[in-house]
Amino acid sequence: MASQPMNDLDADLSAGKPGQVVRPASGRWESAAMVLLTLGVIACLAGYLLLRPREVDPPAALSWQVRSFDGLNAVDQAIHSALLPAGEEIIWNNNDTGGWITLEQAQKIVLPPFYRDAFWKSNGEVHWQLILPGSHQAHARTPDGEAASAAQSPSQVSQATQGQGAAVYYGSGGQLPGQSAYLLVIGHAHAGVMWANQATIWVHRDPNAPYPGIVKPEALVSKGWRQVIAYDGASEIERVKGTQP
Amino acid sequence: MIVSERLRPRLRACLALLVLIPALALVGHAQAATKKLKIGVTLHPYYSFVANIVGDRAEVVPLIPGEANPHNYQPQPADITRAMTLDALVVNGIGHDEWAGSIVKAAGRGANLPIIQANASVALIPIGGDQSGAKVVNPHTFVSTTAAIQQVFEIARRLGELDPDNAATYRRNAMAYAGRIRALRARFMSRFAELDLTTFRCATTHAGYDYLMQEFGLFVSAVIEPRHGVAPTARQLANTIEAIKKAQVRVLFAEKTFSLDLAKPIEAATGVKVFTLSHITGGTYSADEFEIAMAENLETLAAAVEYSQR
Repeated sequence: MASQPMNDLDADLSAGKPGQVVRPASGRWESAAMVLLTLGVIACLAGYLLLRPREVDPPAALSWQVRSFDGLNAVDQAIHSALLPAGEEIIWNNNDTGGWITLEQAQKIVLPPFYRDAFWKSNGEVHWQLILPGSHQAHARTPDGEAASAAQSPSQVSQATQGQGAAVYYGSGGQLPGQSAYLLVIGHAHAGVMWANQATIWVHRDPNAPYPGIVKPEALVSKGWRQVIAYDGASEIERVKGTQP
Repeated sequence: MIVSERLRPRLRACLALLVLIPALALVGHAQAATKKLKIGVTLHPYYSFVANIVGDRAEVVPLIPGEANPHNYQPQPADITRAMTLDALVVNGIGHDEWAGSIVKAAGRGANLPIIQANASVALIPIGGDQSGAKVVNPHTFVSTTAAIQQVFEIARRLGELDPDNAATYRRNAMAYAGRIRALRARFMSRFAELDLTTFRCATTHAGYDYLMQEFGLFVSAVIEPRHGVAPTARQLANTIEAIKKAQVRVLFAEKTFSLDLAKPIEAATGVKVFTLSHITGGTYSADEFEIAMAENLETLAAAVEYSQR
């Protein structure tokens, strides 16, 4: 069978000559484009990773705070949950009438956690007291009614005077194991306190912790009280969606 | 002055205009003043809450049909049309009405419809039972009285911001409604007062009742569904049955509007007695629906606790 004639390139290769290199018509710009495209994709990915909406962690409690969601036991959690709407109602009532809901009134309007019902019973039968604005030092007593011991220094009296605008619902003597003592502190606008017309809730590990006398935050912290941070719907929405409602 | 016959009709027309223009302006102003807000709601309890807060000062508009199941709801065109006309929308926002966001977006109201997050100030608690050690937020804040009152106050406060002229009325109505809810709770609390609740242990098929249990100092030992609306695997069911036996649970709460397919085998395997509670998420929207459903729930709860004491 006759062999096929060789073309020029085959002939050159057979003869040991180097073949002709054919340059791409685009002058190698595809390679540069590929590199640029790759860099662009990497840059876009990096940008997305850096700028993407992130899930926000739930607010972390500071050393003197405790989270209601996972930092309180079931009983403290239940009392805290009841104190929140109670605080709101007390403030609204104060806005409308200028007065504070007394513990006797709380019985009449069946307001938990003060109302002595099955909830009160199953949550430690806490003994509640109302300390009205301007009477903090006078009410600095233990749950058994004994007056607080040492005489107040001038600076303490001064501090107490600054905090006189707050109305406080003080709960102690809870009978269940691990139960806390409680403070619902409601700032009052007229006295110019820093949390005017706002309720804050505090717990103390000792269910029989005496009434602190001074209810300014720094004084409470120094006496072992911890502010309860509610893990509320706004926090949950922020955690899930990354935005506040 | 004698006005010519030719000018008299023109003069009459001018006089008529002078009278009519201020009258029309006054009518327009009166309409604006009496324009009622249209408040959308996603869930049945929120219809009751808002209807009791606003009274006749605003219109309450359910976003989805009453018979729809909010757990797996697919938005419909009519929902989008409704969303286009709203002045505000009240939502659960923490996992029970996620579809509301799609409806609002599809209606083109994502940027300008005020959303009232009913749970914004409610202290959330985790789902009861084991949950594999995880703390999962329970979105059923509306199956309760205390958390419900907190939501009523939050909604009233936000509505007052949107409609300042009626803010005082909304707040007054909210406090009166809260008083009624508390009275309802107190009525049933008296039945619990003589019972020993410390030994009461229950299981629930659906993690919908933790807020209600918390109010009565009751604890959920096991939840059958591993996640909201998710059926357990055979292994998970076996573990739950074991947990129920171990905790000596005598009562199982199932959802009134759901099938009892899940509850019956557990009843057979453990000897628990099944009671049904309402999720308040189905039927006709009405102002008193929440109070009626909660009264039934509290009656059931009291019956279950009394049963466990025998």
